[in-house]
Amino acid sequence: MKILILERRLVPSDSALAIAVTTALSVLAALLIGGLLMIPFGANPFQAYYQLFEAGFATWRGFGFTLVKAAPLIMVGLATICAWRTGFAYLGFEGCLLIGAAAATWTAMQALPGGFLEDVPFFAFLPVVLMVSMCAGAIWSGIVGLLKSRFGGNEVITSLMMNYIAVFVVQYLVSGPLRAPGDLPQSPRLPQETWLPYLFDGSRAHLGIVIALIASFVVWVLLLKSRIGYELIVTGLNPKAARYGGINVGSRQLLAAFLAGGLAAVAGMVDILGIHHRLVDGLAEGTGFIGIVVALLGGLNPLGCVLAALLYAGLSVGADAMQRQAGLPASVIFIVQSLIILFVLASDLMRYYRVRSRATVVMNTKVESR
Amino acid sequence: MATDTQPASAAYSMRKIVKQFPGVLANDRVDFEVHSGEIHALLGENGAGKSTLMQILYGQYGRDSGEILVDGQPCRIDGTRDAIRLGIGMIHQEFMLVRRFTVVENVIMGMAESSRPVIDLHGAAARLRALSKEYGLQADPYDVIENLPIGVQQRVEILKLLYRNARLLILDEPTAVLTPQETASLFVVLRQLVSMGHSVVIVTHKLHEILEISDRVTIMRDGRVVGSVETKNSSKDELARLMVGRDVRLRAEKSPRAPGRPTLRLEEIRVKDARGFDALNGIDLTVHEGEILGIAGVDGNGQSELAGAIMNLMPITGGRVVFNGEDVTKASPVLHHQKGLAYVPADRRHVGALTDLPIHRNAVLGRHLEFVSPAGMMDESRIESFSKTLIERFGIRPNSPAYMAGKLSGGNLQKLILGREVMRDPRAIVIEQPTRGLDVGAIEVVWREIIAQRDAGKAILLISAELEEIFNLSDRIAVIYNGQIMGVVETADASMEEIGLMMAGEKRIAGGEGQ
Repeated sequence: MKILILERRLVPSDSALAIAVTTALSVLAALLIGGLLMIPFGANPFQAYYQLFEAGFATWRGFGFTLVKAAPLIMVGLATICAWRTGFAYLGFEGCLLIGAAAATWTAMQALPGGFLEDVPFFAFLPVVLMVSMCAGAIWSGIVGLLKSRFGGNEVITSLMMNYIAVFVVQYLVSGPLRAPGDLPQSPRLPQETWLPYLFDGSRAHLGIVIALIASFVVWVLLLKSRIGYELIVTGLNPKAARYGGINVGSRQLLAAFLAGGLAAVAGMVDILGIHHRLVDGLAEGTGFIGIVVALLGGLNPLGCVLAALLYAGLSVGADAMQRQAGLPASVIFIVQSLIILFVLASDLMRYYRVRSRATVVMNTKVESR
Repeated sequence: MATDTQPASAAYSMRKIVKQFPGVLANDRVDFEVHSGEIHALLGENGAGKSTLMQILYGQYGRDSGEILVDGQPCRIDGTRDAIRLGIGMIHQEFMLVRRFTVVENVIMGMAESSRPVIDLHGAAARLRALSKEYGLQADPYDVIENLPIGVQQRVEILKLLYRNARLLILDEPTAVLTPQETASLFVVLRQLVSMGHSVVIVTHKLHEILEISDRVTIMRDGRVVGSVETKNSSKDELARLMVGRDVRLRAEKSPRAPGRPTLRLEEIRVKDARGFDALNGIDLTVHEGEILGIAGVDGNGQSELAGAIMNLMPITGGRVVFNGEDVTKASPVLHHQKGLAYVPADRRHVGALTDLPIHRNAVLGRHLEFVSPAGMMDESRIESFSKTLIERFGIRPNSPAYMAGKLSGGNLQKLILGREVMRDPRAIVIEQPTRGLDVGAIEVVWREIIAQRDAGKAILLISAELEEIFNLSDRIAVIYNGQIMGVVETADASMEEIGLMMAGEKRIAGGEGQ
């Protein structure tokens, strides 16, 4: 008689097909559970999901929002990839994002009448603001990197603490040095010439997504094609092997810290110049952490990170629409988002097994002689 | 009381035990028995399978086949709980004690009485005191473990087993962490235990201790039992030969060759390990051009520290490394590569290679700067063709540069690492445990390449725990024991027995370097 048995593999199957199938199954399982959660509301899960995906991906306007949400997630995801693949367990992207946002605000304020960037055309302003933001973020994360590579400080703790400092730095800036006249603690509205231009009519999508996509390509080349990337990845995979291979582990970790901070700062810049157009308190909203999740969901691969960010952003946008149209609470979709992440990360386990149908079990009695 | 005259009285016996780990047959139809009232030594080199066997008996590992009998009755042992119920107890090399807890808290931990709502610590302490007195194991139940010396901590481990009514006590390398005085008092305790009818198994590779304390010795090699003898009828020489002297299946063809001038010289090298103990205690060695100097020794006597010290991967606390007349003690790994000093590390999967990267990325580890385009990109086409050359020359299978290094067999991975280092055309190579875990075919390839390098005039320092390998390849043999060189002999003049004794720290040849 034939039976189906689950057999453990010695090494996980890592073919592209296996990864695609397990990922797809994870997403389906999460949607299934989400569907069950919708039933008490009397909603039709299929219809709700249809509305969700239509709003997040299928309408021009909705997709625009998705792109707006995806851009900073991609940037933080890329930052995570650079840091984590070097073995630098950095968690301070939220702080870098805020510092980058503050730096971008300050730079854009220089384009106000009387500032030294007044009347500078946008194509010249953009590189300046990019540089300033990235440097600010890189210095911010570089502090943690220096503590790690010089003194062996635990980057998990120091980077988390630095996040709090960044939050208060922004609060300080909007209530003091950068504060606009008025009741609210916020910076003045930035001049329209400094805004990231919208890409299409009838859509909120702005230049930020283009910056994020270019950055993804650059990170992909840097990490997987360049000498620096080789050294970063070897350091991350195994510091012992890196040292054996003549790679300066400390300096590579410091470089990873700079890259991470610079990239995450661009996320802040994109949000300031693309959405808020002024510095306000509480603008990060956890993007610096969701970006980590997006990077993990994308398998710490720049390309995967873009796809994961689009999926995550689309679900968020769709959740809002679904809440309005189907009367379902958006929390259902947040649960689905969380489950997708959980299942995709846990699905690695599935690749350690194979299903087989066979009638007899043959003992492997091969003896290894020396 | 001791009744080891009747073979039928085996209290615990293991029959035809087979344990297969991925790629390694750890126990191959092993028979082992312990009588009540005897101290039984289980002797063997590292990796011989003795710890695995004992962990099977203690229920920590399952077994693929074979049976375990207690007092002649077959028993199921599916976990340590079963083993403890059957009176089996084991003390690991690393003590399993909670350092902040008191003696009595440690002793009752994990027992039913410690999970009751109210723990009767005083009752337990009283019983513990009675046990201490009965067996002559002084230990105050209310002392905190971290304040106690190692020898007393070990006593607590023994009390823990006696408290659980253990009849068989298995001690894994019990003297490894003890001072000579503590060892002597441990032996008094062990004798006391067997005189009261308990059985003791000590797992060890120290010959003199076996002769001093044990009643019987079972010797394991390569997962098999190669002998079981009464200690009083045996000798140190016989045990050494049984432990290390495997029947030679491999022979390396090697022509005599006059060594050239000194290439690599180690002067008074000193290294401390992570705990601050001396791992290397003033090593003096010279390797000449066209010579293989073999470093023999039981694992963990400073071999890996020696390699690490030469390659400046481990902080040196004293001494110099001189390469071609130049002090390279503080030279970086990159500088070593440039000067022509190559290194094949023992840990193939964690140091020598990156298992998560493909072959072509591993082929350039340590020399990737040679494969970078002016724009700072990895020059994929040159890397590819270099990898193909490497694969072809050393017969690495599968022969695809994109294949993940981690999926290569041990032999192919070693060919990749050794080949990479050899292709650098170095002047000296430090090779550590080159054939550990490899099958015969791969060993042959690796040996042939090492000899080819010697014949090409390279100076080779070969560190190996395999005596057979040392004898087959080396021109001279240095024996390391406890961070010291016990002597250097010409291979032609050396006997397996003599080297074995030096490896066990039993013999020392004055004069050291024979230059």
